[in-house]
Amino acid sequence: MTAESAAIPVNRYSRAVWRRNALVWRQLMGPSIATNVLDPLIFLFAFGYGLGAVLDRVGGLNYLSFVVPGMMCYAAMFAASFEASISVYARFHMQRTWDAILATPVTLTELMLGEMSWAATKGVFSSCCVIAVGLVWGGIGDLWGLAIALPVVALGAVCFASTGLVVTAHAKSWDIFSYFFTFWVTPMFMFSGTFFEVARFPWFVQAFAWVLPMTHLIAVVRPLVAGLPLDPLAAVGHVAYLAALSLAAFWFARARFGARLFG
Amino acid sequence: MEGNLSSAAPVIAVDALEKRYGAVHAVRGVTFSIWPGTCVGLLGPNGAGKTTIMRMIMALAQPTAGRLSLFGEAPRALGRAMRERVGLVPQEDNLDPDLSVRQNLEVYGRYFGRPAAELAERVPRLLAFMQLTERADAKVMQLSGGMKRRLIIARALIADPELIVLDEPTTGLDPQARVLIWRRLIDLKREGKTLLLTTHYMDEAQRLCDRIIIIDHGKVLDEGSPQDLIDRHTRAYVVEIAKPLPAGFAEDGLERNDIGDAMLYYANEPTDVTRRLPPHATYVTRLANLEDVFLRLTGHSLRKGD
Repeated sequence: MTAESAAIPVNRYSRAVWRRNALVWRQLMGPSIATNVLDPLIFLFAFGYGLGAVLDRVGGLNYLSFVVPGMMCYAAMFAASFEASISVYARFHMQRTWDAILATPVTLTELMLGEMSWAATKGVFSSCCVIAVGLVWGGIGDLWGLAIALPVVALGAVCFASTGLVVTAHAKSWDIFSYFFTFWVTPMFMFSGTFFEVARFPWFVQAFAWVLPMTHLIAVVRPLVAGLPLDPLAAVGHVAYLAALSLAAFWFARARFGARLFG
Repeated sequence: MEGNLSSAAPVIAVDALEKRYGAVHAVRGVTFSIWPGTCVGLLGPNGAGKTTIMRMIMALAQPTAGRLSLFGEAPRALGRAMRERVGLVPQEDNLDPDLSVRQNLEVYGRYFGRPAAELAERVPRLLAFMQLTERADAKVMQLSGGMKRRLIIARALIADPELIVLDEPTTGLDPQARVLIWRRLIDLKREGKTLLLTTHYMDEAQRLCDRIIIIDHGKVLDEGSPQDLIDRHTRAYVVEIAKPLPAGFAEDGLERNDIGDAMLYYANEPTDVTRRLPPHATYVTRLANLEDVFLRLTGHSLRKGD
């Protein structure tokens, strides 16, 4: 371990890393907004007309009201996971941006906090694009509920970013990321309740689904956005799960990166 | 030593420093000190342990054994404060490819916690100092190798460091690009900065360094000023004779080195060698330089990976 581990992270240095990523992103903002808005539009069009026509009501909701909160969470999950895995690996390994930063007063923990918070920011941004589409297209039942749901989505994005960093910390090549997407991102897309109710699956799939942070996120966000009743105790449990997993994942990724970089 | 104690304290003090990576013993007990305002060169073949020593000085690697102090303290105890006072010019290009030349400096300045107003004043000055003003808005990928090195050096200077650590600053550059970088490094020395550089270019070491530490197989072979080293390890002159050697030339008793297609003979006076040669034999005489010292100390066979 180096000097790194002892220093208490200072926000100014993490923000410098966050601002670096924001500066690069701003130069490509146009295409990014376009894809982030078009993506949910295509989904809503296809699933709305396809599935929505077949299904009358899902979980006590019309299909649009069911699927828009799910897609809010899915957008946050996908964007944060992608940024914390593939994009961070490019900066860590390919571009050697991390080496350059670690020769400055920025510590590894601050660097990782900057990367994690940026990945989470992108997740929240993607989610906001879905909200914008939902506000026009329909599917958002409760604006107050939406306002409460947003910070929960942000916590979810932090959780997806932190778990993504765990994979990046172990990556020796790009190959590991196909496992990450196949065994982590895609299951969260399929089994966590984005498009179908978790309760429809056999018990062992449900048991697996409740390990995934996405399932907990949707369990809180959907009732809030749709204006359905939400058991406060269950909500606290879901939020606590997301928070605990975020902390554990970040700590684990920090330890692994530390060993790799300064071993 | 004259002067007060603070000016007499070394910037870097390394004592019996060792580093093992598993079975590899990269640094095996290295001792040296670097005084303020001097330029010191770590010279050695590839794989000699130079970069490992630099990484330990930068607290990017932990020593396995021995002592290392920077500004009088262990780098890990100094932590962030240490990095604020040191500028690193790494061997590989790790400029930010997603940013322009100017943005590379501005963003790097923020990693040092520097306020925007200070950077707005400092970035144009550094661009001018490194002759990059006209390329300020170019992307890093559009730069030549020499410009990239200049930008990396400008980046290392963003927080006005006391110590600048340069790992092979001119490797792979054309002669014009190297001369420009040398001029700037001499300017920095005049400003009172302390410079530590690694190189395997003898001309670079001879030109820039007040003191040279020759390293091989993770150990210090010798150290001193370029002239001290030349005086200690070779004779004043080198006579180079192409092979095949002229018939009847008696080389016994001469200090010599086989460099493949020719032989080098070391002598205090060129005539010590040339009077042994038959008339009309061709040879080249020159003053001994660091290259000769280096070859004598480290052997001249190429290393794996060279």
